[in-house]
Amino acid sequence: MKKDNLKQFYKEFPSNPDVRVKALKAILEKEGLIDQKALDEILDTYQNKVGPLNGAKIVAKAWANKKFKEDLINNTDQVLKDMDLNGRQGEHVVVVENTETVHNLIVCTLCSCYPWPLLGLPPSWYKSDAYRSRAVREPRAVLSDFNVKLPISKKVKVWDSTSEIRYLVLPQQPPSSKGLSENELVSWITRDSMIGTGFPKPPKGK
Amino acid sequence: MSKAHDMGGRVDPRRIDITSSNANFKADWEKEVFAITLALGFSSLWNLDRSRYARESLEPQDYLQFGYFEKWLAGLINLLGENGIIKDGTESEDNFKKSSFRVLEAKNVKKLLHIGGPTKRDSTTEKNFNLGETVSVRANNSNTKVEKGHTRLPDYVKGRTGKVIAYHGSHVFPDANAHFLGESPEALYSVEFKSQDLWDKCEHVEDAVVVDLWESYLEKFN
Repeated sequence: MKKDNLKQFYKEFPSNPDVRVKALKAILEKEGLIDQKALDEILDTYQNKVGPLNGAKIVAKAWANKKFKEDLINNTDQVLKDMDLNGRQGEHVVVVENTETVHNLIVCTLCSCYPWPLLGLPPSWYKSDAYRSRAVREPRAVLSDFNVKLPISKKVKVWDSTSEIRYLVLPQQPPSSKGLSENELVSWITRDSMIGTGFPKPPKGK
Repeated sequence: MSKAHDMGGRVDPRRIDITSSNANFKADWEKEVFAITLALGFSSLWNLDRSRYARESLEPQDYLQFGYFEKWLAGLINLLGENGIIKDGTESEDNFKKSSFRVLEAKNVKKLLHIGGPTKRDSTTEKNFNLGETVSVRANNSNTKVEKGHTRLPDYVKGRTGKVIAYHGSHVFPDANAHFLGESPEALYSVEFKSQDLWDKCEHVEDAVVVDLWESYLEKFN
């Protein structure tokens, strides 16, 4: 059997992460291996361009348009490509629909895989040991930490993102939002409702 | 590699801190780590599976104490170390092949982030399981090629029985790719397990957990 031991070079670096990354960056700059403009562009992408609004637009469209919803569920990657919403950490996406009988919840127990192009970067709690450990064993207790209570008649289905498939929950449309336009619906759709740790809700002030 | 990262089903008394919710980055150093890690991910010196393996291979106590981006930072330093870009003084010669390093340029960022790293391959590989079929997961979830190597087979489903609910085509196999043994694509399935088949005390008999599993993680159910 082969061996593959990565040496622990990081231990030779200052332990304070702020100092540690500066030391690393100095080496990379000296070797000419990073371009600051590229780093800025990456940050701009994930701080300003990619976020839960992307996912919300898809969900609103699915609520408003039955044919689109069917396409989205059956031909997800093509639909996302057509909407220019594919990308890194969203190369292969599966949309899971909440119904009267099933509530879906997304986790990644092995690291913190998350559909970046649709939801942006994951919140801290999604990356926490507690969420990664507990979501598969006691999803209802986890949901109650989010003040989400489910009727006993609903099955909870937890999706552990162990491969490069990324999952997006299609939440149920609240009855009180029926008849609103696709644009109006977008503001009802929270990030958590697309992970399964929350429900859509009326926008503040409405 | 320790099992520190394989957290699914571990008993953890902590509540989820839902107030830790909105900021992508808590400090400027986290932004630096994030951007540098993504940029160097395009250098062609390693792949995504290797970078996951690097994080999982940190000293277990560090894996458990470090924040998310601290793990990224330490893993990245180790990857740069094995490529000779960072040295610890024990190297007998300079083994960094700068010519094979692709520096990410700003003009390519948008395009490359858009393409990402698809893992689905056109090759048709062996497919022994059908939709709806009951399958067993291998009883041992160690990497079969590399001692203490990378795997995406979580501990909590090993030896368990579930049902195939989706087939995703052939995908790059992390257990090989993380160790530069080739992409070795395999059929990838989603397998649904009843919670009551996974846990001694389950919250609800109807509840289920779905895990994505590759062909060689699975066995025929007898």
